Amino acid sequence: MNARETAWRVFATELNSSTLEIKATEEKMPSYIVSPLGAKINRILITGVLTEKENVGSEEEPMWRGRIQDVSGSFFINVGKFQPEASAAIADIEAPCFVAAVGRVRSYTTDDGRTFITVRPEHIVKIDEKQRNEWILETAKSTWKRLKDTKRVLSMGDATEKDLVDAGMSPVEAFGITYALDNYGQMPDSALYLKTIQAALRMLLPDRNVDLGFPEDMSDEPDEIELPENGQQGNNAAQLEDMILDLLEELDTDGKGAPREELERRAEDMGISSIELEEVSNTLMDKGLVYEPNLRYLKRI
Amino acid sequence: MVNEELTPHIQELQRVLGDKIDEEQLEAELNKYLNEYHVNIDAAKRGIIRKYGDTDTSTFVTGNSLVKKVSELTGSEQNVDIIAKVVFVDEKTITAKGIPKKIVSGIIGDETGTVSFTVWEPGAIVLAKGSVYSFRNCYCKLWNDKVQVNLGNRGRIESAEGIKMDLPERQITAASSEIKIGNIKDGLGNVTVTGRVISVEKRQITARGEEKTVFSGIIADETGKIQFSAWNDFGIKEGESLCIKNAYIRSWKGIPQLNMGDRCEVSRVDAITDVVDTTNNKRTIEEIGRIGGGLDITVEGMVVDVRQGSGIIRRCPQCNRSMLNGACTTHGMVEGIMDLRLKVVIDDGTGAIGAIVNRDDTEKLTGVTLQAAQGLASIKGESVVGREITGKILMKRVSVTGNVMSDDYGPSMIVKSAEILNVDLEKEASALLDEVEASL
Repeated sequence: MNARETAWRVFATELNSSTLEIKATEEKMPSYIVSPLGAKINRILITGVLTEKENVGSEEEPMWRGRIQDVSGSFFINVGKFQPEASAAIADIEAPCFVAAVGRVRSYTTDDGRTFITVRPEHIVKIDEKQRNEWILETAKSTWKRLKDTKRVLSMGDATEKDLVDAGMSPVEAFGITYALDNYGQMPDSALYLKTIQAALRMLLPDRNVDLGFPEDMSDEPDEIELPENGQQGNNAAQLEDMILDLLEELDTDGKGAPREELERRAEDMGISSIELEEVSNTLMDKGLVYEPNLRYLKRI
Repeated sequence: MVNEELTPHIQELQRVLGDKIDEEQLEAELNKYLNEYHVNIDAAKRGIIRKYGDTDTSTFVTGNSLVKKVSELTGSEQNVDIIAKVVFVDEKTITAKGIPKKIVSGIIGDETGTVSFTVWEPGAIVLAKGSVYSFRNCYCKLWNDKVQVNLGNRGRIESAEGIKMDLPERQITAASSEIKIGNIKDGLGNVTVTGRVISVEKRQITARGEEKTVFSGIIADETGKIQFSAWNDFGIKEGESLCIKNAYIRSWKGIPQLNMGDRCEVSRVDAITDVVDTTNNKRTIEEIGRIGGGLDITVEGMVVDVRQGSGIIRRCPQCNRSMLNGACTTHGMVEGIMDLRLKVVIDDGTGAIGAIVNRDDTEKLTGVTLQAAQGLASIKGESVVGREITGKILMKRVSVTGNVMSDDYGPSMIVKSAEILNVDLEKEASALLDEVEASL
């Protein structure tokens, strides 16, 4: 069978915490990334806010990079000449706006063993907020199902894939969960995914006081930020800007700028969420005080 | 190549083509291929046979043929000899290119197995059931994963009376297994299902020259519904609940159907009230992938791709099939009839399915009418229409209903009705919240 690969609905937290890959060993065989909750992903459907885009290629042969932010984190996308439709589409989309994208996932691992996952959209289109919310609902349901299934498998002891199929799971689900549990060598961080579901439900049900018992963790809940009142905001913003500028200087050890990941981690230690960091760095860029040598670095001028 | 060297090839070609071409013409043709176009001799012979031979065979002349046992056939043989006994044989009249034509088909077998065969150019020899023959220069094809042996205009059948051959006993499949209709898939042998008859009708058909009455309809249980065909009169009535034993499954274009043959037993059971809503047979695409296909299935999902051939197309006025670059693949250059359609891929997170949407539903889903599309096409060209329509439907959530069949590329649906899906976000999100909270 050469059936088309399913477009999985997975939040950024789950995709970005995936480190397991099933690499193609033959021609025409697809590669997969297996998430900690057992999603066996070749293709993915994502939506969120396109927060930035950049042409790192040339005018003639563009290579777009961008970030799409969902309720839990960011997807990193790459669009090049092998995705002609998406390439033509993204050229006309101005960040920020809601987008939906479907494409294949790719992973690469750095020398120090960290895995990054990117998405190469075949299509990317502008959508409205309602469509984005529909995706959040669908993805929350799908994440919840994987979480439930994983728990069930753990409670079943040494269940084989066949046992799981007999218990009502699909063969793909049964394979994915078994493979993830066998190969990650540790239990999935269910708190992380529950927190993501909590953030999703808060977004969808703003009037219900959604509380699944997880702390207000700003870094995972970009949409829950309450901005301080007017005057105070100015002060705070100025303070934050100074803090970030100092941090940038400190982290720029080799002249390339401060690695974004490191910056986010340090900022978080100081109580600055990633979304606040995003806002502050945007302001600093607007003021011409910092720039991005590329998507993963921020550098003080 | 000088003429003397050509002689054996010309003779070979004459054997194949008979009086379809005279020697002089043949020599001229061969010369053209070899000396004007410098094609090698094998390709030249193939080309000439193509040109002058009957076109309803896709065989090529290739050296000597192999002799194979039935079980060794892979379905890709171009030229193979089989020595086998005729298990069953029948003569049929088919219509090929509007001309009635006699063919002979049936089943042959050797000690390793049986296989169906077709003789497209029946000669003088009359095949007798139970006799052994040598089937020479056959070609094989795969149909529904089963090998079929074909004898085209090169095929020869020779009596092999001297050879004795014992065929394996026909295998009787194990005891009938009870199965829910929703789990029925292609290739199942002996099944027992219990369900309620949704509809039944009596039809007269002609099978192998015999008038037959079949009773066909739809039967459903709580998991699904399926089309059945009864080859005997079991007195089936609409609305009654039946237990059907020893039925077998055959698929038509990937849609499984329940066949009630001679060994089938039917008994009345207590009324089954719990049957699927036959007006709403909703499935996930993963489920469809497992079943293969079915009737009136509803799928909800997102349009993740819009394929080539969407938008304005032209249909052949004779066969109604879509044309390519102004020509019909069977009727050539014709004045096409304009139509609007969508070919999309719908993905629900469990799988992906291709869907072909007709004009009415394309207009409904995209809000672009054929008239508007034609207007746009006349100003900006038809490719713009395709892009416009793609933009209207890509990444939209839809609900589609239709018949589903499967091939190597997965399932696909001919859509009978379609609509843009409206999700009650608040209700569904609340339900999810309640479920998550309850389990923590």
